[in-house]
Amino acid sequence: MTTESSAQILTYDPLARRRQIQIIISRIVIYTLLLIGAAVILIPFVWMLSTSLKTEKQLFEWPPRWIPDPVVYKNYWKSWEQLSSIAPGLTFWRIIANTLFITVLAMFAEMFSSAIVAYGFARFRFKGRDVIFFIMLATMMIPGTLTRVPAFLIWREAGLLNTYDPLTLPAWTAWGPAYIFLLRQFFLTIPREMEEAATIDGASTAQIFFYVMLPLVKPAFLAIGVMAFQGNWNNFEAPLIYLNTTQLFPLILSIQFFQQSLSKEAPKWHYMMAMTVMMAAPILVLFFAAQRYFIEGLNVGAVKG
Amino acid sequence: MSDPGAFNSYYPTFLRYIGTAIVLALIIYLTYKGLRKLGVKTEAATGVALITPWLIGRILLTAFPILLSFYLGFTDYNILWDKPKSLQDPLFNYKHALAMKIVTFDKDERVSVAALGKLDAEGPDVLRYRELGNVVIRDKRYVIAATDVFLWKGIWLTLRYAVFSIPLGLLGALGVALLLNQKIKGVGFWRTLYYVPAVLPAAAVALLWFWLFAPNNGLINWALGPIYALLNSEKLGWFSDSNLVMPSFVIMSLWGVFGTNTVILLAGLKNIPPDFYEAAAIDGAGAWVKFRRITIPMLSPALFYNLIMGVIGALQVFTQQAFIPTKREDGWFVNWFLYNEAFNFGHMGYASAVGWLYAVLIIVITLLVFRSSSAWVFYEGSREKEAGGA
Repeated sequence: MTTESSAQILTYDPLARRRQIQIIISRIVIYTLLLIGAAVILIPFVWMLSTSLKTEKQLFEWPPRWIPDPVVYKNYWKSWEQLSSIAPGLTFWRIIANTLFITVLAMFAEMFSSAIVAYGFARFRFKGRDVIFFIMLATMMIPGTLTRVPAFLIWREAGLLNTYDPLTLPAWTAWGPAYIFLLRQFFLTIPREMEEAATIDGASTAQIFFYVMLPLVKPAFLAIGVMAFQGNWNNFEAPLIYLNTTQLFPLILSIQFFQQSLSKEAPKWHYMMAMTVMMAAPILVLFFAAQRYFIEGLNVGAVKG
Repeated sequence: MSDPGAFNSYYPTFLRYIGTAIVLALIIYLTYKGLRKLGVKTEAATGVALITPWLIGRILLTAFPILLSFYLGFTDYNILWDKPKSLQDPLFNYKHALAMKIVTFDKDERVSVAALGKLDAEGPDVLRYRELGNVVIRDKRYVIAATDVFLWKGIWLTLRYAVFSIPLGLLGALGVALLLNQKIKGVGFWRTLYYVPAVLPAAAVALLWFWLFAPNNGLINWALGPIYALLNSEKLGWFSDSNLVMPSFVIMSLWGVFGTNTVILLAGLKNIPPDFYEAAAIDGAGAWVKFRRITIPMLSPALFYNLIMGVIGALQVFTQQAFIPTKREDGWFVNWFLYNEAFNFGHMGYASAVGWLYAVLIIVITLLVFRSSSAWVFYEGSREKEAGGA
């Protein structure tokens, strides 16, 4: 009501007219800037897709062609065939199986161990808890350069190099401080009466955790699930250090192996881009499907980070 | 190495994975029982028991490795050996990394490696000083020499990258966040779009930009074609040009960093109560004053968070460098340099020593940023506390 009437008055007021024009100009500026930003983001994407569908000859066309002619869909499997011709046994399906094996195992272990540890920090008072919690957060600052060599030696001593153990087993020890922090924040918002009621009904701590608390923090639990999936899918450093046999390589390491096998003079960019699209696609799909959780995770981390 | 087959490479790990879970569950249970026996209250015993997985992990896989790498830093340890060898001069690795000197030549004199000399320390190798750079002042040429020039070039690249990429990334994200905070149609769509580069795997971003920046057939050099023609200049080499390695990495990082920072800043902007702006408007504050006196202070915790994350991220660049092979002479990011030192060249003792030095550098820089925060980061909670105290 008020806006309507004020708008009516404004049209007859020369000063307000000027204001309206200002508003229109600012609209134009805002949308122009947004569109420029969108172009900056989208053009590389389009270029990636376009390259992935070209023949090798079209790569060197000048000026570059945006819509490939012919459209070469078969790059999407030819690239993997090319890779398996260098590394026998490293087929597309093998790579996918390797990647999923590592990612799912590590993700699952990270989710559960972080939730258990976060619950311990959130709900039970004990001596030194806050100090330990602070140390836990501070471990985020320890750079990998400090632990990389000795961690490698420990796994070598255990005889577990060139297996998936170093990439999956430590996930059980809640190695992501950010995940613990995020889940703890969520646990803290749950009223204590929930647990007290369950205790009176005779539930054990384990039962309370799995049947009462975990369902209540589901959004945060799924948020760290999404982040952990993304983190393990994208993890490059650990597979690079611990895996030697090409047949064990996950996607990201296979692509790097392929890149290194190509000569500098004739980098097969159409194949490289097809592989890149396939590496990025699952993460993008996950992002569009579970966007809420991505953003949730970011925001909770930010409020008190 | 031969292929063990898919099944044979999965199931042993899977068994040990299940085993680890069972052992940890047992440890949680036994810790609880043990503490109860010792007369600890139920609540405290449960709490301690629940965090044991984290404790065990950090002791075995963080604290112990840190100490071990401190020890290894004083040894000579090739990756092919079973055991480290002791060094005659325990500080040899540290001297190797840090040794630097300035040698004076006449302006026209040729700089020879022999004239730069050797490192004065007892060690497994004889280390020569090599030229890092030189300056001519009057008739003298001052040559800065170091025993590990690649390390210094790496540090130089990494620090310059941090100094440029972090502030630019923050400013850009702030601009985008302010833009998205306006009353615009389809905020959700724009926010999603701007966030997309941030979810892409770093490796994918690196490969894509390596191709965009390709000197001969890359899209960027094609787009810059008219400018090259106008200036009558050669095409830029980007990642293959010594002077452009750092800017190329910065440009690439800006494309990827906007999203995360923007989402966090946008959440911060949404948290600013509108009455602040209304009150300021009544007092006659203009747009700039509102931005400077309300938006920036209220946003400072989010800016600070982004800054810290930016510092930690920029000083530990790894994957991007792995997918964008630049010349070693142009400097490799320190994290990548150290990986190669340890695992490709096999110098694990040396890599441990430098790893320690670099970790100290990172922590000092991070703490300095933290220290600075009291001067410019504004927490609403603490303001209320002050008001309550007065």
